[in-house]
Amino acid sequence: MDTIVAVSTPPGRSAIAVLRLSGSRSLAILRALVREDKFAPAPNRVTLKKLFAVSDDDLIDEALVTYFQSPHSFTGEDMVEISCHGSPVILRRLMDLVQAYEARLAEPGEFTLRACRNGKMNLSEAEAIRDLINAQTQAAARQAARQLRGELAEALESSKQELIRVIVTLESALEFVEDDLPTIQINEIENTLQTLGAALTRLSDTYKAGHLLRDGLRVAIIGRPNVGKSSLFNRLVRLERAIVTDIAGTTRDSLTETISLAGVPVSVTDTAGFREACDKIEAIGIERTRRAIADADMLVVVIDGSCSLQEEDTEVLRAARDHSFVVAINKADLPQVPSVNNSFNGSSVVHVSALTEEGISDLMAAILEPFGSVDSAAAGFLITDSRHYDLLTRAKRSLDCASRSIEQGASEELVLADLHNALRFLGAITGETTSEDILSEIFSTFCIGK
Amino acid sequence: MVFDEEFNVLVIGGGHAGCEAASASARLGARTALVTLNLDLIGQMSCNPAIGGIAKGHLVREIDALGGIMGRVIDRTGIQFRLLNRSRGPAVQSPRAQADRALYRLEMRTTLENTPNLSLRQGMVVDLLTANNRVSGVLMQDGRRIAAKAVVIAAGTFLNGLIHTGRRTYTAGRAGEPASIELAEALKRLGFPVGRLKTGTPPRLDGRTINWEAFQSQQADERPVAFSFATDRIEQPQIDCYIGYTTGKVHEAIKRNLHESPLYSGQIRGVGPRYCPSIEDKVVKFADKDRHQLFLEPEGHDTNEVYLNGFSTSLPPGLQQDLVRMIPGLEGASIIRPGYAIEYDYVDPRELGPDLQVRRVTGLFHAGQINGTTGYEEAACQGLLAGINAALMAHGRARFALRREESYIGVLVDDLINQGVDEPYRIFTSRAEYRLALRHDNADERLSKYGREVGLVGDSDWERFNQRRDRIAKIKATLNANRIRSSDAAYTALAERTALSGVESISLADLAKRPGMTPDVIWRLLPKETRSTLHLEDLEFALADNLYSGYIKSQESVINRLHAHDTLPIPNTLNFRALNGLSHEMAERLERAKPLTFGAARRIPGLTPAALATLLVSVSTH
Repeated sequence: MDTIVAVSTPPGRSAIAVLRLSGSRSLAILRALVREDKFAPAPNRVTLKKLFAVSDDDLIDEALVTYFQSPHSFTGEDMVEISCHGSPVILRRLMDLVQAYEARLAEPGEFTLRACRNGKMNLSEAEAIRDLINAQTQAAARQAARQLRGELAEALESSKQELIRVIVTLESALEFVEDDLPTIQINEIENTLQTLGAALTRLSDTYKAGHLLRDGLRVAIIGRPNVGKSSLFNRLVRLERAIVTDIAGTTRDSLTETISLAGVPVSVTDTAGFREACDKIEAIGIERTRRAIADADMLVVVIDGSCSLQEEDTEVLRAARDHSFVVAINKADLPQVPSVNNSFNGSSVVHVSALTEEGISDLMAAILEPFGSVDSAAAGFLITDSRHYDLLTRAKRSLDCASRSIEQGASEELVLADLHNALRFLGAITGETTSEDILSEIFSTFCIGK
Repeated sequence: MVFDEEFNVLVIGGGHAGCEAASASARLGARTALVTLNLDLIGQMSCNPAIGGIAKGHLVREIDALGGIMGRVIDRTGIQFRLLNRSRGPAVQSPRAQADRALYRLEMRTTLENTPNLSLRQGMVVDLLTANNRVSGVLMQDGRRIAAKAVVIAAGTFLNGLIHTGRRTYTAGRAGEPASIELAEALKRLGFPVGRLKTGTPPRLDGRTINWEAFQSQQADERPVAFSFATDRIEQPQIDCYIGYTTGKVHEAIKRNLHESPLYSGQIRGVGPRYCPSIEDKVVKFADKDRHQLFLEPEGHDTNEVYLNGFSTSLPPGLQQDLVRMIPGLEGASIIRPGYAIEYDYVDPRELGPDLQVRRVTGLFHAGQINGTTGYEEAACQGLLAGINAALMAHGRARFALRREESYIGVLVDDLINQGVDEPYRIFTSRAEYRLALRHDNADERLSKYGREVGLVGDSDWERFNQRRDRIAKIKATLNANRIRSSDAAYTALAERTALSGVESISLADLAKRPGMTPDVIWRLLPKETRSTLHLEDLEFALADNLYSGYIKSQESVINRLHAHDTLPIPNTLNFRALNGLSHEMAERLERAKPLTFGAARRIPGLTPAALATLLVSVSTH
């Protein structure tokens, strides 16, 4: 295996940056960097060393270096981690040098791929690592860590065992007609499949929340000009970020900030107001608004509660119609026009005041509400991966087909065709069940054989 | 070397594998010898006198579709035909027939004696002659040397056979026949990994001493389903079998005497089949069952011998007699032949290629119990495959193999050569991923083309197959073209059988898929002119295709989706131990199985998802 290198910290200037090497030449490259042929760092110990370019008088940086000896490393190979100062100049010099010492730039995910290949983790763990790295909030990180411990497989294991039990019963009936087997209790099987389906649905339903935890929620604040979108945005992100004036059309660009709402990463976008563009810049801003709406998981439609509904408000509501949205009736601190309140039948409505902060927490709750309870500390396991979600949904669908077949009195082999499909989908998450496993289960459950 | 005789192909053993092998090889034009210990026992059913059963019946029909002989022989000698799973779907129905044991033997021997190019030889093979890792012939116990370009070993339980009854053991191939010790040693000398397996048989009773009234009779089917596609009708008179039960008294007596059982004293080391447990095993492992089912199967028209199916045992014969007499209805029964257990050598089937030739020695083929299987049908299909390939090899032609997607034979061979065996291997329908596509009645459609290509399917069989295919195509067209409309007279009656509410018009093909529809119902809805010429089996065939097509498609899409990597080849140069991070145990499992594809690796028992992921990464980047 050739030796690969990558900067493991995000790009840009920072206090420290970490550079990682994996492969058989890792230690040799480290020796070349510290210019000590016999440098023998104790594995897993951090050492402060000076790093040089081609000669002893060309110091690049002073850095913490750690050597991990194969197979006791993340990838299972020899690895070196270098924590240096996070200057782009230092990093570029180090990277150039390391490549001159015959390491090559790692492909995206190649460290994890090597870890997989060396049996350090399975695919679902690898997926969890990816999530852990991309985690934007603590709650998301906690979920990824849970998955890493194989909790998904564990959460599914009892469902899978139940499914196997049903398969075993039906297979035995088919396969051993001449044996004196107990008669099949169809009701019992139907009930088991119901329960099983419900369990899978419960798990796959956590995807909405799990997906939120991982990828976060995109919220766009929209409304006609001067209803107080930017003030509301500022209240939500608690920063005086957007320029707020009472001149309509001040916000010409879309501003985005990421905040944590109940552990969910929420990126909030303040948009330019809906109106006929008067100049070119404003036209661009409005186009961006339309894009922000298209990208959003949730819209906050801001209405001015202190004046009656205007033609432009209706236009905004029309634009929001096909999305999830919450209506924020702003300026609750001013005298309200009662007719406004009655115009949003069936929609989720919150009264807020960007000025006094009244109703802001209600608004936050209303934003999260459609995405289910994401009380992540209390919640059990959450599905965060779209592949897992897809497999669970398909497994559930196969179970439904099987139940329908049973209901129609179909022969066992047809019911089993769907049950085996369901088992295949679950197996793609937890590991395969072979026909030998099923047969073993049959022989230990029933007394088979003449 | 000087040889007494020379052949193209030599088959060792005249059991179910050997007979198919010799017949196929000779009919493919290879000069073939069948060497057996006793010519009078060719085609002997050493255990129960029956052929077929779920999945096993499928195998026999596949053998027949390829041009083998087992189906034809049992059709002429079967005395109780029953189609199992008749109440279930066509894919899991399977024919079974009880044979007249003596007639079956005779019919098989006659069939072989009438086969051109085939010579029968009595004697015992004691050594394999090889030169440069290539088989050249065999040495017989009496000193004869017989030359052959290819040798098929189908020695059954004879290899180092050791019979157990109670604490007594003696070497034997079957009760009353000598074991084949020197041949077993010769295989070990060639370096084959050899293991021990065990099987057993129940006692046979004197029918005149049975109180038949105490048992419940089980009749043959009124409309027997034959095994061979060439059989028009079953001629043998059909008999009844009888069902009875053990009692708690029998179980208590067995438990008291377990120390007499070689199974429980540790005397037997070989692993027995779990699906064919001895009565001792049943009583111990399923202690909560208060009775175990028994079948009384008469062994033929002209004998009193009755096979006590379900009572396989290796307890001492005296004790067997006492136990049998505790069974209601057998109070006065005498045992003619005691039951026994037998241990024998098998060679790890992972030594084999898909053509059943061993990799170690060119020209050497293994078939039947030597490969760790159990069952006449399992043996016969391997014999057929080995016989075909031995003949093809002798003629320098390309080898022949079957895929698991298209046949139970393919499933069996694929399982054997990739996964090896821990216990005697038996076929089950659940071993086949594509169970719905592998029906007993469509074996010809799946396989006859191969039998024809290779040269085993004769002109008249081929002609018949083509005619049937045409007839079925016509029926399918009729089913699609004819519709039932709400204005039709038959509609109301149909709507009572199956939910048709709101359906204006439906094709017979779609109607047939609905619950409650049977071939009979559909038959009555067909146009008169179709009905008058229709074979009911053809209609059943067309409806089965129709019923399963959707399921087969959706299953295919699932498998393609999830097992997309199955066809990735695993290079035989890949060193599993060098795959970093693959645990020692996982590497060992892979090394033993020597999977040729990722799909084969996926089916290796005990391989963890992590190990598979590691392997996948390695082979996909290789």
